[in-house]
Amino acid sequence: MTDPVLSVRDLKVDFLTGTRKRVSVVRGVDFEVYPNEILCIVGESGSGKSVTALAATGLLPENAEVRGSVRLNGTEVIGADTETLLRMRGREVGFVFQDPSTTLNPVVQVGKQMTEGQVWNGLLARRDAHARAVELLREVEVANPEVRASQYPHQFSGGMRQRAVIGMAMAGKPSLIIADEPTTALDVTVQAQVLDLLARRKQETGAPIILITHDLGVVAETADRVAVMYGGRIVETGPVDEIFRAPRHPYTAALLKSIPRLNTTDRRLDPIPGQPVTPANLPPGCPFEPRCRVGNGRPLCQSEEPPLKDTGAATLSACHYWDEIPPDDLPARPRPQATTTPEEQAPLLEIRDLKVHFQIRRGILQRVAAHVRAVDGVSLKLFPGETVSLVGESGCGKTTTGRTVMGLIPATGGDILFDGKSMRGLSFGGMRRTRRNLQYVFQDPFSSLNPVKTVEDIVAEPLHIHGIYDEVGGAKYIAELFDMVGLSPQMFGRFPNEFSGGQKQRVGIARALALKPRLLILDEPVAALDVSIQAQVLNLLDDLQRELGLTYLFIAHNLSVVRHISDRVAVMYLGRIVEEGTRDAIYDSPSHPYTQSLLSAAPIPDPVAGRRRKRIMLQGEVPDPSNPPKGCAFSPRCFRASERCHSEKPPFVHAPGSPTGVACFHAGPLDGAAPETEIPIKMEAGR
Amino acid sequence: MNSLRFMLRTIRGLMARPGPALSLLYLTVVVLAAALAEVLPIDPFSQDFVMMLEGPSAAHWFGADELGRDILARVIYGARTSLVTAAGAVAIAGAIGIPMGLVAGFFGGWRDAVLMRIVDVMMALPAILFAMALIAVFGRSQGAALLAVGLTGVPGFARIVRAQVLTLRRRDFVVAVEAFGGTSGYNMFRTILPNSWSQILVQVVVLSSVAILLEAALAFLGVGVPPPTPSWGEMLRTGKSYLYEAPYYAVLPGIALTLTILSFDTIGRGLARILENPRDVAAAGGPT
Amino acid sequence: MIGYVLRRILQLLPVLLLASIGIWAMLYAVPGGPVGMILGENATPEQIAATRAELGLDRPVVVQYLDWLGSVFRGDLGLSIHSREPVLDLIMHRLPATLQLAFVATIVAILLGVPVAIISAMRPGSWLDRVLSGWSALALGVPTFWLGILLILLFAVYLHLLPSASVYAPLWSDPVTALKSLILPALTLGVYVSGVLARFLRASLVSEMNADYVRTARSKGLPERQIMRAHIIRNAMLPFITIVGLQMAAFIGGAVVTEAVFTYPGLGRLLIQAINTRDYPLIQGCIVVILVIYVLINLTVDVIYAYVDPRIEYR
Repeated sequence: MTDPVLSVRDLKVDFLTGTRKRVSVVRGVDFEVYPNEILCIVGESGSGKSVTALAATGLLPENAEVRGSVRLNGTEVIGADTETLLRMRGREVGFVFQDPSTTLNPVVQVGKQMTEGQVWNGLLARRDAHARAVELLREVEVANPEVRASQYPHQFSGGMRQRAVIGMAMAGKPSLIIADEPTTALDVTVQAQVLDLLARRKQETGAPIILITHDLGVVAETADRVAVMYGGRIVETGPVDEIFRAPRHPYTAALLKSIPRLNTTDRRLDPIPGQPVTPANLPPGCPFEPRCRVGNGRPLCQSEEPPLKDTGAATLSACHYWDEIPPDDLPARPRPQATTTPEEQAPLLEIRDLKVHFQIRRGILQRVAAHVRAVDGVSLKLFPGETVSLVGESGCGKTTTGRTVMGLIPATGGDILFDGKSMRGLSFGGMRRTRRNLQYVFQDPFSSLNPVKTVEDIVAEPLHIHGIYDEVGGAKYIAELFDMVGLSPQMFGRFPNEFSGGQKQRVGIARALALKPRLLILDEPVAALDVSIQAQVLNLLDDLQRELGLTYLFIAHNLSVVRHISDRVAVMYLGRIVEEGTRDAIYDSPSHPYTQSLLSAAPIPDPVAGRRRKRIMLQGEVPDPSNPPKGCAFSPRCFRASERCHSEKPPFVHAPGSPTGVACFHAGPLDGAAPETEIPIKMEAGR
Repeated sequence: MNSLRFMLRTIRGLMARPGPALSLLYLTVVVLAAALAEVLPIDPFSQDFVMMLEGPSAAHWFGADELGRDILARVIYGARTSLVTAAGAVAIAGAIGIPMGLVAGFFGGWRDAVLMRIVDVMMALPAILFAMALIAVFGRSQGAALLAVGLTGVPGFARIVRAQVLTLRRRDFVVAVEAFGGTSGYNMFRTILPNSWSQILVQVVVLSSVAILLEAALAFLGVGVPPPTPSWGEMLRTGKSYLYEAPYYAVLPGIALTLTILSFDTIGRGLARILENPRDVAAAGGPT
Repeated sequence: MIGYVLRRILQLLPVLLLASIGIWAMLYAVPGGPVGMILGENATPEQIAATRAELGLDRPVVVQYLDWLGSVFRGDLGLSIHSREPVLDLIMHRLPATLQLAFVATIVAILLGVPVAIISAMRPGSWLDRVLSGWSALALGVPTFWLGILLILLFAVYLHLLPSASVYAPLWSDPVTALKSLILPALTLGVYVSGVLARFLRASLVSEMNADYVRTARSKGLPERQIMRAHIIRNAMLPFITIVGLQMAAFIGGAVVTEAVFTYPGLGRLLIQAINTRDYPLIQGCIVVILVIYVLINLTVDVIYAYVDPRIEYR
């Protein structure tokens, strides 16, 4: 067996905070990384995964105390002098960080940033730096590298920036790459490109990659080996197939059961109860014990933290009772579908040819310099009691559509009818009355609750505004609402910052329900939550819909979540709906090439199935909405595009016999004629 | 009750560090002395010609001025002038600047353009010159000094409140109020303003230090609060003429003035740290 | 580039317009108005009528304003009531002294302020940082006029090294006299501004140090000094340029006070004299000139900023 590139032994990291408190963030981590492999470290927020990676190269801030041993190519990192560390970072490790919009210096040319580490470490002569930068950009498949090398980061699109960062990480031909959530900030089609690039660069260089992520789909798609972290320790590690097939730690098993899957049929999610532990409040014994199905309440689990031990098939698990984990045979309790057949009823909400255009004004005279057609002719019907999802990548106009329906953004054209009555041109009072029937749940529970109000006041606020607080029963009614969303009325006097993300989102939902609306617009309601909390909130939404007969307009980018919750799905691209149909039709027999690519790009948390499926690698990125392509907006990236597509906009039609409605001249099932996985990538300027 | 808890917590936060704690202590002494000046056995006006320009002594701890008046008494009464001017000026600046910032930030458009151009004009002249120009028009009086110093504080308030409103406006909890039918007025006064108090409070304290400095500077230049009202700036102005004979005359009131300005400044920065980053302790746990 | 400057001037136009109206209206806001100002309180109605006609006050307000604006543009700021000399001549006679003081004080401020900020920001929270931050607070909090008095006490009264009252001599023709006269005022003014610069630059350096790109730079194996030099300072300098520009304008304000302390014959003392003698044309003239200087500084700062920041295009 070859020697490991990186060997971490009993790594412990404590943070000393301002009040001289000591918080243990990493509490004894062991792992190795061997050449030519991808090791995924997966965990929720607070699990210590990023800190582990940063500690491995001494990049932690000064208030971090690091103990244990980290050997990189045989050299000890912990306690090494600055000289050694600098040389190591310059030559042996390359880093890719999460957000490509902030990891590059805005006022330094990209090419210079890519090579300066090598120039400084004496690996590259200053006069060769530009040529080397061009070469690196070419290697990461950025078009026009000569020009790009002397541009600044703001002239790059998000995906291109991350390509440049990957090129930079590989510039010194390092023996190890550490990528910390490298695709979290990117759209799913761009994520697929970047992950593919990382994997291919690894093949070419042989340098192993440590990939840190919270996304089990990304793990399944990329990893050779997996380390699952919880509460500052690795709780399970092993080959990727083994981990997903037969998890040997209750946390891994529970996590896999709690996520909605793209490739499984209806079943109610099985959430992990409680909150992820934070380093500041670890329970004694096993940190997962309070949430564990297997060990909860058992004296051994409560008193003794289990060590990692061999559980066969090259896996290790830190669980006293790992052999008692029940197999994944939960009865498929079906998720309730909409009870009525939609066609029999009048739609509750009808969006007709909605257009929302923004003007970009420039200069002192505020001349209109450009129009952004954020929403450009969207039509959609929502029938009572059903869930319709708007899904698409950033900039597709899904949130704008939702906010316009809510009356938060004025429409430029088209009409919105609620219960058969037009909402456009309503007086303030009329709008206000209608608004009681539709409410909005925001994506970010951290910013959607007023920090200076108690949660009781927050939930009661809509009632006060409409002057019906006493009419509906005052504090007693608020208590009922709290109960309905699974919060205790004992929490009334607390402020939002005393709540966890999932609880805050429950408060947000309670507030939206206060006025007894008939329609909820849910704008990415689980996107900001930890994986294990998402299931709790999704189940809550399910229950509320059934109990209250609510209609949902669900806005999301996560295709698995959408599949789980929707009755019907509309796929948006650059301000238009490109395909719409029942959930199963969209997922099982999509006919728009964009829907097909989107579904194939979404990582699925099943390594075996993932390897079998054919992937469509889209070219380029979503174009600038203020300067959209002529004809079909998707045509520049489309694998079926013909001459006609580049000049003519395809109308949205629901052809007889077709399972879905589509806006495409070449709609059809993805069959043997599907494109090869390898498409020569031609990067378009993303902006 | 809630605001009381907030106040106590804030004061405790200030007392936790030596700088703000000492400043708070010093200002308490100054405020008490200024408020209770009549009760104290001092007289800022009685002239004792024997003691003219005599240095500090048991009878006159800070010495006596060119008319034989007790300098300590004049320093204490001068504190009153300074504090009253500062309080009045801050009130004027807030009363004009806060609504300006709210309206400009919340409504945007032409209202924003007009109001911010006015602010730009007020900032085109350095504060002291702006105040002097106003005094040139109004004539020299205590009221004029107060008004002039107050008006120079308007742009600061307007800009800070506007910036705060602009950030808050994009926050979802403000949009949420709009979504369930709250009016602009409701949003402005019930949602945005309560979330801006801490920023405004910091600005109040910072502006107090600026106002005291400005009032003293105007008096030093001979265009501030007119004599015989005791004023620190005026004392420095006169004291400067007797540097050779009575150096303490210009030095001691200067110490009182400088300490007051420094104290407000220190407390302002302390407040900014506490209020703008209240959860820095809770947020510990490292970059996960 | 020229287009960019022209556009910036165009953007400043509303401010200039409003300001000019304010300055012009000053005369009318004075009790008694321009007539009372000239004739005093005991004028007969006939005298008042005659003066009104002479000054053109019977014309429409807009015409009066435009007339005044026109003469300002021609450089005609009127006559001083007190000395009957052209206002512009009086100002031009004093302006070089103030500009020279501002120039030397700027150098003092940058030399004192920038190193303090950088050393302070290298290790935020360290004892060195605390000491230097304390120094900045002191530089800011000590009133310039009191600091000036202390300096006079030390260097003139006790040590007899420097004069307590300053005179103006051009730096290029008589550098020794000029410097002797300038040292104390420039130090007084410069120390204050160095406090502003240091506090601001430190804050923006510290916030840049926490930026993600700094972690990226560390991950490339760059040493801290190089990261500071090649990355952090470049970003922190952008807002700093604006602050230096604004402070240059504020210098003129500080100069008024400093000139009073050292009886230095600059624009500030002219203005104080004008206010004390209620010489309104002279007051107006001083303010107009200061406004022009403010606009010029603003333009320069904008151009430098756009030149340094690649994100701003001259379009």
